Amino acid sequence: MAVADYKRYLAENVLNEQRTVTYRSLGRALRVHSTLAKQMLYDFHHNENNKKPNSVNATYILTGVQMAPEPATPANGLQSSAGTADTIPPSSPYISSSMPNQDGPADEVAVSSVLLVREEDLDDAKAMFQSIASIYVYSLQPTVLQDLNVLTDVARETLANHAQEDPLEYGPSWGMIQNKNVKRRTGVRPPVPVPAPAKTAAPVRKPTTSEAPKQPTAETKDEEPKSQPTLKREDTPSSTKSAEKTAPVKKEKSSIFSSFAKAKPKAKQEDQATPTPSGADSAEPSASEDVVLDDASEDEPDELFPDSGKTTITSTRESRKEREEKLRKMMEDDDEDEDEAMPDAAPSPEEESNIIDQPPAKPAEPKEEVIVRAGRRRGRRQVMKKKTVKDEEGYLVTVEEPSWESFSEDEPAPPPKKKPAVSAPRAKAGPKAGQGSIMSFFAKK
Amino acid sequence: MTTNTSENQFLRPPSDQEFEPVYRESSYYNPLDTFRLPSGQDRHYQQQYGDMYFLRLAKLKPAVEEIAVEAWEGFSIAGEHARRVERVLDVRQGELCWVAGTIYMDMPLKPNILDDLTKENYTLAPPPRPTYQDPSHPELTQIMLEDESGRLRLTGSTLSSTQLATGAIIAVLGTENANGDFEVIDTKVPDLPRQPHRWERDEVPSTQKESSKGKIAFVSGLSITGTSSDTLALELLTDYLLGYTGSSSPEQDDDLPPNPSAITRLVIAGNSLGINMTNDASAESAAAKKKSGTKKYGYDASAYNASPITQLDSFLAEILPSIPVTLMSGETDPANFSLPQQGIHRAMFPRARAYCAPPPTGDAKQEPGWFDSVTNPWEGDVEGWRLWGSSGQNVDDVLRYLNFSGNEGNGASTDGDIDARVRIMEAMLRWRCGVPTAPDTIWSYPFQTHDPFVIEACPHIFFAGNQPRFKTAVIEGDMPLKLNGADTEMTGTDNSNSGPRVRLLSIPKFKETGELVLVDVQTLEVEVVKFGAFAGQEDKK
Repeated sequence: MAVADYKRYLAENVLNEQRTVTYRSLGRALRVHSTLAKQMLYDFHHNENNKKPNSVNATYILTGVQMAPEPATPANGLQSSAGTADTIPPSSPYISSSMPNQDGPADEVAVSSVLLVREEDLDDAKAMFQSIASIYVYSLQPTVLQDLNVLTDVARETLANHAQEDPLEYGPSWGMIQNKNVKRRTGVRPPVPVPAPAKTAAPVRKPTTSEAPKQPTAETKDEEPKSQPTLKREDTPSSTKSAEKTAPVKKEKSSIFSSFAKAKPKAKQEDQATPTPSGADSAEPSASEDVVLDDASEDEPDELFPDSGKTTITSTRESRKEREEKLRKMMEDDDEDEDEAMPDAAPSPEEESNIIDQPPAKPAEPKEEVIVRAGRRRGRRQVMKKKTVKDEEGYLVTVEEPSWESFSEDEPAPPPKKKPAVSAPRAKAGPKAGQGSIMSFFAKK
Repeated sequence: MTTNTSENQFLRPPSDQEFEPVYRESSYYNPLDTFRLPSGQDRHYQQQYGDMYFLRLAKLKPAVEEIAVEAWEGFSIAGEHARRVERVLDVRQGELCWVAGTIYMDMPLKPNILDDLTKENYTLAPPPRPTYQDPSHPELTQIMLEDESGRLRLTGSTLSSTQLATGAIIAVLGTENANGDFEVIDTKVPDLPRQPHRWERDEVPSTQKESSKGKIAFVSGLSITGTSSDTLALELLTDYLLGYTGSSSPEQDDDLPPNPSAITRLVIAGNSLGINMTNDASAESAAAKKKSGTKKYGYDASAYNASPITQLDSFLAEILPSIPVTLMSGETDPANFSLPQQGIHRAMFPRARAYCAPPPTGDAKQEPGWFDSVTNPWEGDVEGWRLWGSSGQNVDDVLRYLNFSGNEGNGASTDGDIDARVRIMEAMLRWRCGVPTAPDTIWSYPFQTHDPFVIEACPHIFFAGNQPRFKTAVIEGDMPLKLNGADTEMTGTDNSNSGPRVRLLSIPKFKETGELVLVDVQTLEVEVVKFGAFAGQEDKK
């Protein structure tokens, strides 16, 4: 039991390192019940100030019922005043027989308060309470806190430091209210350690956030000793990060390659290339993994949680290979579909990848130029229009001539026959194809 | 000032006391999918909004006519009997009659879609206005009654004493005057719909029904902005909900704040994220663009500030092990803007989503998650009571229709109008329409087959989040005949022979007031717990 150590801990942290210690950070650090932690703080505060006055400063939490009139402003000066402006009744009450009811109960509502108070204000604050249910020490710090909001940083830091501890497991020892019915999805551990205090530059966090979707998805079915997943968690992001750092070029390249996957020779190259490094080189697969992840997080809610057993962190290598395999298959499928869909299409396969976003426009009689953006079809089509004109002799002549008219159909129009076949695999190969097509678009022009 | 023993529980040296684990009451939770939109491909936005009005009228006209028949049958002035008229256009001049229809209000400052279209600024949301009335020209406000046949302008002194808003279905009694306007003598509203009994949808063993006790906690407007300077109250709220704040003495004392272990569920009614973050982010991104000079497409990490949502996530992840949470989206939350707002996607909560329900597989109806990210408005059963609530946009918008010309002097009159807000909530229940002004002045999904904003079953608790102040009221439906007297206290389950009773809650913004609202599950009595810091000498310097 760490109880005996609390004096040393507090002395080190508060007196030597000049830090702020709250009962929660103490409770977490020493793994003691919150009530005990409060008592420790009190005891330490009491003893130190007996030895040397004002060496330690405290903040308190007062709970209870404040004075009856309950003016919101003086009691909670830090909060913006909740309005002392007199109430303006609407010009006349709304039709209602029961409206008189509303005023009665409103006044009877019991308001209790939880108030954070500095040591030196304690008596003032107490005077404002009609009755006090409890007082306890919230935090200890070497000097008076200028800004009480510092305490939230302490709390956040504590959370970050103890993010690995499963609240369901340690909750009872902290004194948390237990809930027997809590449902947490199996195999999902509190994944990312809280990305440290808010100030961290955003770009640094990017890898971690992109990492985030992956870890919960991983199914750690057979729960191994706790330490192991923990280790892994610390491990994977960093390795991925380094991978991203060391081999960004490579990654870029690979995604470009894949975007040209339609081009057969290149696709073959890719096919040969990918399986080989996946075994040896760890950077490459992780990059491709990222790509897959991006895809998942893009829009398909189902894809977000592919915890259907596709991926397992424990056998990453294997699954990577599998995935690669799948990807390759997909690409091949794509090729085939493309070929089927465009039996007589003039454009070369490379050009084809430009317009992959479009449904295979059939060279049908009324010609259509259709651009599909986010499920919305827009474009022009050629139609035969009857035109009546007066000719030189003054007769009305009706001629049929082809003309263009623009149209937009927002309804997911009756899909061209081949469309599903093409779009389904495409959706899965997602950003590779999509991104690639944009890139190649620029390249072509 | 009284002090009791528990005060000293913490102010003493550490003891070897054993701490009994405290267990939270269990929660019965059965949400309704009333406002869930079809996902992905099945969600279309090109339908006409007119259908919604048609559906609403079709649904509510019989209800209001029933009431009108009861009230006005045989009503006569100077020997002329009031005649019932089916369609608005069938009203004949000079004839005493009554007719039911939808209210439409034409107001000078109301955003007008046609104006927006002609000015080609239809891509932006219209800037919010405090009111649609033009105080200097009150005569410009026209109230009309419409149905599928046409419109009828309403006049008369009765109207000025009746608060109306576009979209409400009412019946009016009167005559058409020489101007072609309809002189209103009296109006009727559909009034409260049938109220389900407690536990109506749940199959809960009766022993648990008896023993079920606890409190439902409501909070709204956490407005987390990601800066560390404003979350102290949130921190205290976390401590309180987790049970670190209270004393562990089991006996309940009047002076004690309500025991947090009695709270069975936390409902967060919208605006969990602060609004100003988007502005900051765009400003930042502009600066960043200038700096780097390179253009980036898609996700730009430097322009996106993740800290508000990260903070919300960690708040949720911290309390979820102990308390189930229902999170409604709100105006400033990362969800779609038009009502009904869909739940904030769980991908936004990398840590809290472990408590979500598993992703939907197929169409199978699944158990609601421990952490349930729901729509706004939202309807559901908690502890057997029916709840209907929104994040406050409906109340805010109806308020803009009402006449507050008396208090234009003090500018932002958002504070004193709390009485009006509660009245509006009552009115919405009596109109049987939770969001009457959608789709007129609140952006709304164009429903085609049904109007979910029509309140079909009277809730027991009707709440609106993000209001300037806390306020509560109880309203009752008019029962034609009460056998056991009007003053019978309703005690939970035994309400079979009394009329509907609804607890109205105006939930304040937590960021501004630090208030958490607790509703007792047995009596529906309300308590408030306030969190904050004492402004002492240090702050006054």
